[in-house]
Amino acid sequence: MHIPDGFIPTWESAIFWIISIIFVALAIKWAKNNMDEKSVPLFAVLGAGIFAIQAINVPIGMGTSGHMVGAAMASMIFDSPYAGILLLALVLLIQGLFFADGGILVMGANIFNMGVICAFVGYYAFKSLRNRGISIAAFVGGWLALFTSAIVCSLELTIAGTFPLVAGLSAMGLYHAIIGLIEGAITAIVLGYIASARPDMLKWAGGKNE
Amino acid sequence: MSNGSLGTNSKNSKFIMGGLIIALIIGILAPFIASGDPDGLESAAEKIINGNALESNLKEIGLEEEGTVAPSPFADYAIPGMDKIGEIAAMLIGILLMMVLGYGVAAILKKKEQIAN
Repeated sequence: MHIPDGFIPTWESAIFWIISIIFVALAIKWAKNNMDEKSVPLFAVLGAGIFAIQAINVPIGMGTSGHMVGAAMASMIFDSPYAGILLLALVLLIQGLFFADGGILVMGANIFNMGVICAFVGYYAFKSLRNRGISIAAFVGGWLALFTSAIVCSLELTIAGTFPLVAGLSAMGLYHAIIGLIEGAITAIVLGYIASARPDMLKWAGGKNE
Repeated sequence: MSNGSLGTNSKNSKFIMGGLIIALIIGILAPFIASGDPDGLESAAEKIINGNALESNLKEIGLEEEGTVAPSPFADYAIPGMDKIGEIAAMLIGILLMMVLGYGVAAILKKKEQIAN
């Protein structure tokens, strides 16, 4: 879902840079108050894992493929959407600067879509469903995060004049409803594994077991 | 500092090493198993994009086609002229870069230890 340079005009890119810088600043503030000695290597290895898994494009039919984003997963593990925003900002920075994956001018929009939207939607969906079971909550959170992000992306392209409204929402919605299943499945597997093998890594799982 | 026993520490480093190994394995496999089909956004764009809007955006930033305004050393997760080996190397470089950047940023930002004594 990485928008390349050219898909949205410069004025719109600038607006999303401003919005994303604000959220990244909030994420930095969160990290200063919440990251401890134990979080540092976990954050780093999660970033490496998300970078790697984003390169695995899975065919979904219709001549199309998709890959996981991972902001929802990071937010669930660190118990804050700001963790996902900070991590995705770093992943997108490396992808944009070194791998031509996502443009430089539009990076603010990509941080907004795949960082801010995925993190907030995924985290709060997960949090509200957590007492129904961790795997189910993680799956729904992952799916909803990716799907919502695609809808938001489509609307940005409609504002840009690049995508027609209805055709954009239908195509982006359809493809990402399917790609969301990949996001949901991997998120559920990872959260389920950590919750059973290392619940001490999850702040919210410290007390009760479900 | 807390009374983190040796047992907890080695359990943690095993968990982190395990995660890094999984990331590296995914990175090595990616060039072989990833689908070359366009992703959801590119695929939608191929079908519905407004050519005029795209053209005027590209003209504004001086590009011939959509992509990036800055040249990337490992564009498309490859190293020019190196084929599959280059793709694997590009992935491994990316994973290690991410590990270093993630560690560095988190280490700089982490909350300062309370100095009690």
